[in-house]
Amino acid sequence: MLEMTIHENSCRGCQLCLDVCPTDCFVFDEQTQKARVAVVENCIACLSCAYICPSMAIRHKDYHQVKNFYRNIEFSSRMEKFL
Amino acid sequence: MDEILKKRRTLQETMNFMAALSAGIEPILGRGANSMTMSAGRNLGRKFSAGAKPTQDLMEAIDEVRNILVANNCLWGFEPFKPQQQNDFITSTPEGDQQLLLVFRDCMIRQALLRFGHLQQGSLCNMMYGFFAGALESIMGRKTTLEIKHAGENSCLKLLTVKK
Ligand code: SF4
Ligand code: SF4
Repeated sequence: MLEMTIHENSCRGCQLCLDVCPTDCFVFDEQTQKARVAVVENCIACLSCAYICPSMAIRHKDYHQVKNFYRNIEFSSRMEKFL
Repeated sequence: MDEILKKRRTLQETMNFMAALSAGIEPILGRGANSMTMSAGRNLGRKFSAGAKPTQDLMEAIDEVRNILVANNCLWGFEPFKPQQQNDFITSTPEGDQQLLLVFRDCMIRQALLRFGHLQQGSLCNMMYGFFAGALESIMGRKTTLEIKHAGENSCLKLLTVKK
């Protein structure tokens, strides 16, 4: 099951992750002025939050990582008929 | 091994060419580029699904589209998505259309675009809309749209709408 964490000390509260997330996984904690994971179940592992976070504070674990297709032997062989 | 490496290089070059082609026609044709790729995708969807099992059940139809893609050696891994706050996968609009969120993971279009620095959500992505529209038109006999809600680095979220 996918896990997602925000490194609390690194978060600068810019809320970019809240803006970019298509499935509203984050909330903004007014008290700490930092982002917090609210609904990890909704995460589709698009990784947009991890890429956009200026502090590189967001980490994902146990998700399907997409590889470049030409590095995937199985896929390369399936694509044979198009070549 | 040499043979596989050669094929991979050819494949990479083919996708690179397609991505460059689509990025190139967009500034010239504007919205026309989307119509072209949409139409190409729809023809492909119709052609591939010619012998598919007809059904009115959206989930079954989606499985059929997946089978068609696998049978034709296409790598477009997708799965239905249900946000936690939603009760069912399929929702209805006030107009009576059916809607279903889909998450696309492995996608040869995204991988080619990102590899060569092209933007997502362009005309090549629109080809997938066309493919679904063509395939579901054959399987369900209904008009379909596939709207990109979010184009991410590792997966994309799309909204499938099947018209009443
Ligand atoms: S994008 Fe990063 S730094 Fe900004 S609020 Fe989210 S976790 Fe914090
Ligand atoms: S990976 Fe995508 S869906 Fe998951 S929390 Fe980040 S932005 Fe939201």
